Amino acid sequence: MRDEPYRWIEAIQDRRDYIEDQLRVGSPVVGLTYNEGMVLLTIGRGQRKIFEVHDRIALSAIGHPADIERLRMLVTDTASVQGFQNATEDVNLHRLTNFVLAHTFKQAFESIVGEAYIIKMLLAELGGTSEQNRFTGINYDGNVRTDAAFSVIGGTEAIETRMQNYLAAASEDADRTLAAALQLGLEAWAIGKELSSREAEDMESEDTEIDTEQMHEIINLAKEDGEIEAGVLETTQSGTSKFRLLETQEIETALP
Amino acid sequence: MSIKNTINHKGDFLSLLQHANYPLQVGLPSETQHHADIEIAHSTTVVAVRYRDGVMIAGDRRATAGTAVIYDRAEKVLRIDRHSVLAISGSPAIAYEIARILEHSFQYFRRSQLQELSLEGKLRMLSRLIRDNLAMALQGIGGVIPIFALYDLEAPEAKNGGKIFFYDALGAHFENVNFATTGSGSIWIRGVLRYLSRFGETPLQEMDERQATITILRLLDTASEYDAATSGYNARAQIFPTIKTVTRTGVESLSDENLTEAYAEAQPDADAV
Repeated sequence: MRDEPYRWIEAIQDRRDYIEDQLRVGSPVVGLTYNEGMVLLTIGRGQRKIFEVHDRIALSAIGHPADIERLRMLVTDTASVQGFQNATEDVNLHRLTNFVLAHTFKQAFESIVGEAYIIKMLLAELGGTSEQNRFTGINYDGNVRTDAAFSVIGGTEAIETRMQNYLAAASEDADRTLAAALQLGLEAWAIGKELSSREAEDMESEDTEIDTEQMHEIINLAKEDGEIEAGVLETTQSGTSKFRLLETQEIETALP
Repeated sequence: MSIKNTINHKGDFLSLLQHANYPLQVGLPSETQHHADIEIAHSTTVVAVRYRDGVMIAGDRRATAGTAVIYDRAEKVLRIDRHSVLAISGSPAIAYEIARILEHSFQYFRRSQLQELSLEGKLRMLSRLIRDNLAMALQGIGGVIPIFALYDLEAPEAKNGGKIFFYDALGAHFENVNFATTGSGSIWIRGVLRYLSRFGETPLQEMDERQATITILRLLDTASEYDAATSGYNARAQIFPTIKTVTRTGVESLSDENLTEAYAEAQPDADAV
């Protein structure tokens, strides 16, 4: 098939359509920094989506659970071996994404006879100082994007843009508390969730503004048959491992 | 490591290391004779006691080779995770490696399997590492006999969840209910520990943190008096023994300020001696 470039390009496009179709309904994940670290959060239904990779690195993803699991193991194993053979300080997000994950994603996506990974990943790395905190998103095709203060993964690129815009507008206060970060993150999540349930053409139109009241309705509705899941990398944690999943009660008390 | 040769290690860090071609055991020449009668050298004193809030575990700071003092700031009490500590006596190279593998194993299990390794699982892991090191122990060059202290979070709130485990060179573990001590200086204080635990004015297990600290400092001082391989408190260089507590809230190290105060109380007439 590679001898016939047009068929190859067509096959890649089909693959892209197929994967994006599968990802569209995924529950978004929002990553935010706060005054004592970084938080990743989503609302899910049973399947855990936020994970600890290494001392200062956390991972979340949307897509097929089996693919998420496989790639999560790859990155966790690699980080664990590197951290042991050298030192834990030698494990960093840049190397994991660029030398391990990105080409694995790309290779699977472009080898059109093999299986494709239905996945979008968002990783967070707690830096030595708050300026060094990093979010890295990896798309199913191996494209890598890095952000500092906040980042999201959602069903489509358009959804992600809308969520990012909301966060950018509300994000002047980088010194927010964890409670404020959870609140803001959930609002962005609600935008993503609402848009992914709409048809593609609706999303483009102008009158799709979602106000705060609507957001809270969406969050409350989602909480009825799902659960808020949030993991933090916190600078206040003693010892080298900085990751912790928040308890349900902690999340409840933080929210108004 | 690539996705193609990724296999499921089911949370077993040793399996992962083997897969990554990490040499887990030091190779020994085949013609080396096994001297089972060689006594395992473990020149040090480490001691753990159960006190009111959990376990307090301490070690002196001296490292020796034969009769020479090599180093006076060695750390022999190592934090393994949020609720466990390993105190080592024996060959430092192997002991540090065991501690490091243990720390990474617990982390790897938690990260890959999405749950903490159970208390029993943690104990077995350490047994396995000590047993795998038997060949070295039998040569008389790499023996390690640790004390492993941890806090059992499953224990009811009202009960003391602190637990102390003692290992032999083959990896068998035994739970010591109220105290444990190992190393060359331990013979001088085991009887004292037993006495304090059974007949002390305040039994060990009822002591608060300060009382336990003073007791431990006095025990190490006693061991250093009779054992040349155990250091006491070096006032001139301000070198204190390492003391850590393992409680429901986690592992803490006692600060030098804390120890200076406790020392003043432990040996009010220290200058006169």
